[in-house]
Amino acid sequence: MRWALSLALLVLVILPNFLGSYLLTVFIFIFFYAYLGQAWNLLGGYGGQISLGHAAFVGVGAYTSTYLSMTYKLSPWIGMFIGGAAAALLGGVIGYLGFRFGLRGFYFILLTVAFAEICRLIVSHLEPLGGALGLFITFTGNPWQFQFSDNRSYYYIALGMMLASVAIVGAVERSRMGAYLVAIREDEDASEALGVNAFATKLAAIVLSAFLTGMGGTFYANYLFSLQPNTAFGIPLSVEIILRPIVGGSGTLVGPILGSFILSPLAEVSRAYFARGGLSGVHLIIYGSLLIAVVLFFPRGAYPYLRGLLRRLPRRGAP
Amino acid sequence: MLKRRTFLKTTGAAAGAAALGFPAVLRAQPKQIKIGAVHPVTGPLAEIGQACRLGAQMAVDAINAAGGIKSMGGAKLVLLPGDSETKPDVARTVAERLINDGAVMLTGAFHSGHTMAMVPVAQQRRVPFLVDISAADVITANVAKSVKEGQQKVQYVYRIFPTTTTFGRRAIQFMNEIFKATGVSPKRAVLMYTNDAFGKPQHEGFLKAHKEQGAPFEVVEVIPFPEVPTDLSTEVSKAKAAKPDIICPITRPASATLLLRELAKQRVDILGVISPGAPGLYEKGQIDALGKLIEYTMDSVPWINPISPKTRKIAEEYAKRSGGKIFDTNSGYSYEAILVMADVLERAKSTDPDVLVEAIRATSMRDPIMVAAGPIRFNEVGDNASASTAMVQILGQKPLVVHPKESAEAKLVFPAPKFWERG
Amino acid sequence: MNVTLLGQAALNGLLFGGVYSLMAVGLSLIFGVMRVINLAHGDMMVWGSYVAFFLALRLGVDPFVSFLLCAAALFSLGVLVQRGLVNRVLEAPHEMQILLMLGVALVLENLALVIFGPDTRRTESAYGLETVWLGPVFVDVARLMTFVLALAFSLALYLFLFRSDLGRLIRAAADNSYGALVIGADVGRIYTVAFGIGAACVGAAGALMSALVPFSPAAGFAQTVVSFNIVIIGGMGSLLGAFLGGILVAVAESLGAVLLVPSLKELVSFVLLVLILLFRPQGLFGRKTA
Repeated sequence: MRWALSLALLVLVILPNFLGSYLLTVFIFIFFYAYLGQAWNLLGGYGGQISLGHAAFVGVGAYTSTYLSMTYKLSPWIGMFIGGAAAALLGGVIGYLGFRFGLRGFYFILLTVAFAEICRLIVSHLEPLGGALGLFITFTGNPWQFQFSDNRSYYYIALGMMLASVAIVGAVERSRMGAYLVAIREDEDASEALGVNAFATKLAAIVLSAFLTGMGGTFYANYLFSLQPNTAFGIPLSVEIILRPIVGGSGTLVGPILGSFILSPLAEVSRAYFARGGLSGVHLIIYGSLLIAVVLFFPRGAYPYLRGLLRRLPRRGAP
Repeated sequence: MLKRRTFLKTTGAAAGAAALGFPAVLRAQPKQIKIGAVHPVTGPLAEIGQACRLGAQMAVDAINAAGGIKSMGGAKLVLLPGDSETKPDVARTVAERLINDGAVMLTGAFHSGHTMAMVPVAQQRRVPFLVDISAADVITANVAKSVKEGQQKVQYVYRIFPTTTTFGRRAIQFMNEIFKATGVSPKRAVLMYTNDAFGKPQHEGFLKAHKEQGAPFEVVEVIPFPEVPTDLSTEVSKAKAAKPDIICPITRPASATLLLRELAKQRVDILGVISPGAPGLYEKGQIDALGKLIEYTMDSVPWINPISPKTRKIAEEYAKRSGGKIFDTNSGYSYEAILVMADVLERAKSTDPDVLVEAIRATSMRDPIMVAAGPIRFNEVGDNASASTAMVQILGQKPLVVHPKESAEAKLVFPAPKFWERG
Repeated sequence: MNVTLLGQAALNGLLFGGVYSLMAVGLSLIFGVMRVINLAHGDMMVWGSYVAFFLALRLGVDPFVSFLLCAAALFSLGVLVQRGLVNRVLEAPHEMQILLMLGVALVLENLALVIFGPDTRRTESAYGLETVWLGPVFVDVARLMTFVLALAFSLALYLFLFRSDLGRLIRAAADNSYGALVIGADVGRIYTVAFGIGAACVGAAGALMSALVPFSPAAGFAQTVVSFNIVIIGGMGSLLGAFLGGILVAVAESLGAVLLVPSLKELVSFVLLVLILLFRPQGLFGRKTA
């Protein structure tokens, strides 16, 4: 397994030399959404606290670093951390309120949606942040401004972010906190009876998840070059964030990455074949049907299914 | 991976050609020049995106029917349509794919946020991007600035659509001229706008122009409403309470319907509805659905030039191919963008990006199909210096240009009859 | 601040609230019985609107009549979705149910786009522009009609749930599916009917609303969000709560448009939602469950 991972990593590292800019872009979004999915996974997958408002953290992170860069000429490389901290603060507020008041399941989902929508509406009316028009970033290609003339730089940054998220979430998974999170997901009351501080654990998870997601906001801003409240805080982005880990298998380290490697290419292929004129919308019908098919055929996500498949394979050769 | 990539490439080209119904592909194999067009044909902006796509496609067909790019041996244009799904990240990916499929120039993308996401693609990959529709001033200004400051070598992004600044200036200018000509001077105006990436700068442009140029009326109340409103009754009640003489709305189709119906229901007594430039107030579907309520509504929008016989012919064909829709702002500007590209290619005699940029900068295209203040020329920031708007009024259930005089096809009616006195 | 304006806004909100209520009742029923979050709720509503639109366009049927047909059509759609899809994920984790319903929503939206085209539509009604003036305040007749019909539809649903055997079983299943099993009910059939009725409610709401509010294929999502707000505010699984919640949200947003910048009026319902979640998570009219 270890050598397979190393090989995969090596392939990803040398891949840009063989890819055109288009496929680089596809990979960049695979990595980026895998990163966001992994950040979500920490809270939603391991902890079972499903958030459908993670776009709020992307938005807060993106707006913070972009505002600091435009107003105070602060490099987004630094602003990224401040943005992450701001998102973590918001995550802390949502988590404190939600968990303190014992919101679970569907109620927590709606709390996150409501906060994201509140953020969207407020930012739509904040003049310094451009209101509904948003912020527009000048493309300079200056690396200090988190901008690059070569798409490969974005590729490596996105890859690095994805790997970092795997390392961080992996460390959490192996730590006591990870065990607590899973225990809370399986049975919160029982875990508390065993002495787990569910409130503190969940709060820590949402703060870390929000921090990582908020850092991603800087990448989002500087890859798309403008921010509008409706896209940066909108529910469609929140949906985009949760799709991949769920498809791949939420609560597993591989899930968000596998999900991203499944969904992004599928979306891209369905676009490439069915969105070239003719009837518009056919490709999204196909994409939607694929999501439905995933649920029907892989009811625990793709990774748990694959793992089951691998286990059943006869082992060849002794280790 | 490589295999799939080439596979994608070839089938892509084949599919593009097939979609065009290109018999020539099998016969003479004339050189093809591919143009990528990214529009939001699915999602909330699908209505407009599909109109843009059809406009661009028709222009490509027309140029090919007339012998293609003559200076390049009659090379045919091929439109590679892309769907942004009304999302910026998809807009960027699609732009990359179209370039990968061989697009030598790009057009699009209607939503300013999507256009912005495509700008770095154009700059990074050195593919000239002729923005057909997107009004935010910063789009071209930002690129021009980074070139001026030496961070970028060449500007690859140009725009033929009027900027929000132009929208505002023209709206005030036209209104002043109309009030003067009719001898009716409204004193109080209420500005209502949809608070989104389009409505916000549009309302600011209008207020700024109002302050700079002056007008007989005062803007007594400014009422923003949500982007996707389900109910505008209270907004209209608020407007009514401000006792306006005219209502200046910046809408989208759904909000335009809500607004006009509420104005009628609440019997708001005004001299007329005059928009500083917004969709929803001239489309065939809107006219059919609103009937007499939309009659006399004025809109200061970029519009097709009704005096030009060429434009009229295109408009007739557009109606046929779209199932009876009106050739308007969006389909018109997407059409015009392709015409400009053909003109550029004709002069450049090459698809080399820098040669194309030279040609774009040297553009002086006479007889644009849209109402304009002269031949299409690009100024120092890359905007079409002649881009303009026209005052369009719905008369006899048709959008007709009533101002400025040189483009007018009908005599304007102002003040408009009250909503409840319209038979 | 102008009292007439406030009164007018409250009245308009109240009359608009009927369709909101009907929409939320459907969602609440589906959740109450199956514990499934119908994220395709708004998209189903848009389909109801399209049925009403084409009945009016082709056959000249007024939406205030055809809403019953739309309810029937959406009932069938609901049954199909439940039998074919939802039934298979009843035991699945929350996130898989969410994924499934997101897929259904995407398919419904884009199927509408392919079939009906992207244009913004509104269903024509004979009462579309009628108003009755009571001094300075007016009553929008179309709104009044939607309100009355939505109320009647909800009342009929109430009678069905409380007076018929099948209705009682559905309520029993909503309270406790295990209990329903014990008394020997066919839970599968109950689920199917309940989902069908939920879809019928939103179909009727879509038809009624299409006379007031323009719609397009992409219009569903916003309605899904509003439905969820209402259901939580009113009380999850409580039909009366959903009904009153709908009216409350409509009035609150309408008053919000007077008291705040109108483009911020949605903020009112989201803030209300957060407050309810924190201080009364069972909703204004819901019962506290253990």
